[in-house]
Amino acid sequence: MAGNDLRIMVGDKIFFFWTLAFPILFIVLFGLLFKAGENAPAVAELTVVNLDQGRWGAYFVEKIKSPGVKVIMADKEPAEYNRLLILPADFSAKIEARRDQALPFKKRSDASTKAAARVETRLFQAIARLISELVLYGDGDLTKFMDGHPEFRDLVQVKSQFPENTVTVVPSGFDHSIPGTTIQFIMMMVMIYGGVTVMEDRKKGVLGRMLFSPLSTGELFQAKLLGRWLMGVLQALMLILVGKIFFRLNLGSFPLSLVVIAVFALAMAALSVFIGSLCSKEDMIIGLAVLLSNLFAGLGGCWWPNEIVPPAVRKLALASPAYWAMDALHKLRFFSGGFTEILPNLGILLALAIVLTVVAGRYFKIRD
Amino acid sequence: MRRLFLILGNDVRRHLKAPLAVIIYLIIPLAMTGLVGIIFGPRTEPSQLPPIPVLLVDHDKSLASKLLLGAFDADQLKKMFQVTVTDEVEGRRRMKAGRASAMVVIPERFTLDLLEMKPVTLLVVKNPAEQYLPDVAEEFMNTTAVMLSGAVQAFADEARGIRALLEVPLRSISWEALAPEFGKAQKKVLAAEKYLNPLLLRLKEEETKAAGAKTRFTRADLFSMILPGMAIMFLLFIVQTLMRDIISEREDGKLRRMLTTPLRPLELIGARLLGGWIMGMGVLLVMVAAGTIVFRVTWGPFGYFLFLGGVASFWTAAFFALLHALVRNRNQAGAFSAPIILAFSLFGGSMMNQEAMPAAFRTVGILTPNRWFIDGAALIRDGRFPWAALLVLAATGLILLAVAVPALRRRTSV
Repeated sequence: MAGNDLRIMVGDKIFFFWTLAFPILFIVLFGLLFKAGENAPAVAELTVVNLDQGRWGAYFVEKIKSPGVKVIMADKEPAEYNRLLILPADFSAKIEARRDQALPFKKRSDASTKAAARVETRLFQAIARLISELVLYGDGDLTKFMDGHPEFRDLVQVKSQFPENTVTVVPSGFDHSIPGTTIQFIMMMVMIYGGVTVMEDRKKGVLGRMLFSPLSTGELFQAKLLGRWLMGVLQALMLILVGKIFFRLNLGSFPLSLVVIAVFALAMAALSVFIGSLCSKEDMIIGLAVLLSNLFAGLGGCWWPNEIVPPAVRKLALASPAYWAMDALHKLRFFSGGFTEILPNLGILLALAIVLTVVAGRYFKIRD
Repeated sequence: MRRLFLILGNDVRRHLKAPLAVIIYLIIPLAMTGLVGIIFGPRTEPSQLPPIPVLLVDHDKSLASKLLLGAFDADQLKKMFQVTVTDEVEGRRRMKAGRASAMVVIPERFTLDLLEMKPVTLLVVKNPAEQYLPDVAEEFMNTTAVMLSGAVQAFADEARGIRALLEVPLRSISWEALAPEFGKAQKKVLAAEKYLNPLLLRLKEEETKAAGAKTRFTRADLFSMILPGMAIMFLLFIVQTLMRDIISEREDGKLRRMLTTPLRPLELIGARLLGGWIMGMGVLLVMVAAGTIVFRVTWGPFGYFLFLGGVASFWTAAFFALLHALVRNRNQAGAFSAPIILAFSLFGGSMMNQEAMPAAFRTVGILTPNRWFIDGAALIRDGRFPWAALLVLAATGLILLAVAVPALRRRTSV
């Protein structure tokens, strides 16, 4: 019976829109967005208007330059810029007189905040370097500084790396977007399709007629649950396959990722049977499914990285089944985790699946 | 006309008896707007990011490492970073579990090497699952490294002296003989103070916007940007549920019964279209009220927005009238409607800021009502009249209506 449910669904042409075409659009969109985010710091621009009448302005600009910051020189404040630093006419005069000064630094509010942070950090570093050189120079005449002075040395270096036995390069945007989209669309599709068909089968008397066969109500419920679970797993397999072929998706451990998705799909299958048993109108099921899947996806980290979310929302995210699935998939992909690492996630998802199955079984109806 | 209003009144009463689906569709955009606004809205705290969990492993346990630890203790940085001092084994275990954004490892002999003016390396282990916070921690360490390098070079002689002192027993040091050295150090400290207090060079930061734009972006501004996109998306969802009556009445045989009365098909079609339009306007007005009360959304001149809402509702009613004239049954209608609405919303900018979308998506977006409604609402927020959006929506709506009415008449004739 579960196989028959699946055959009916796969036979529906629009099924492929929900399971494949629309999720792929999401994958491409979010994949490109994540990619764009990664590229932002490499093109961090800084426009500098150097009005200084001495030599210190040019010297300071040299200190700002770095591979991560592209310095664009301008004669006057341009209309279009992302970040702008103005070195005033008396920049050198004030330094030579050892008088403090504040440099106007303007940031466009709509420009990349990540790039702005990179430029700002570089400016702080340039200021620290310059002041260090001034301290090293001592009490001497600063007008003669450029004729000869002690150079700054980067005695303390910073080396960055990822944890051992995890990744060596930053994963691609699609490695973020495909798992997120898969989890989101399993929720949406299983709840909508699964819920609506349970409701329609009940209303049209299909469930009632099935009881004339040797099937018991319990078996009927199990078959409905299994059909919806298969639907979720099939969708995940299709998306992963497309991801592997077209986007070089790397899930870390493929079998363990599939286990996570399978347990998650079971919880969603139970939820879909419950919604289908509870609601008597298609629009209500679609509305509930869209509401729940979007909230779970947003909270669970399917759309944006959870790190940027306020702490209170991060706590709230623990209530989203999508969070536990995404967290497990992250452990597998980004930390090369194994079964032991994802065991707590699997436990929680399985417990949720059991609770939802019990509730769905309790509310499962043959007739209205 | 009287009969048209009678049908309309009857439809309204019928839908009000079971309003749960419509209520859910109204809750979704408000819930989504709230969620996105809470996450991406400007915050009251100085940092726009949540506190960054950083693990610190100190193998040196000496002067310079304590200085480095102290840097995290500054008032502003305390709010920015949540520092946990740990040992390397525990640190690596926590990093492997993704429990921190970064781990800073201070090597052994860090202080001694610095005092001997030898290059030293701080290790920053970054969380690979996070995209922003580890980079912030790394940049902070880079800046600290520059400052530490500068301090060590500025006090190189003193550093060498301290290094020598560390080698000899405390009792054998002649503190009187060191007095001139302390004097020199004091002079340097005083000289450095001239540059550091107040800081010789500071940044006077200013956030700017292009000419004519607001200079301060608030959470209400963000809600004002998101809600119109959500509103048009769920306007489409709600109006299509109402317009589906066209199909369901034919399938249920109600249409056949209704046409035994003196009703003309055109009156039935008119009632459905008018019902869709009224429902659309109702939805938008609820959104406007909820958005204003809950999120303090600014809509701009209300008359302009009402006009745009009216035209968008007309477009939606005409579009779904045509769609329901073309499909064979209720299942087909349901199967086509939701994907079309989602595609409109994805390309049209309801699900994501248009500027963040790839160029190809933006181009396709021009073909969607969502894009024109969102653009129009943005213009109205700036106090301008959305001529282009209104013209496009009204013209295409009329074309859809012109095609839909004859098609519906054919489907309505029994």
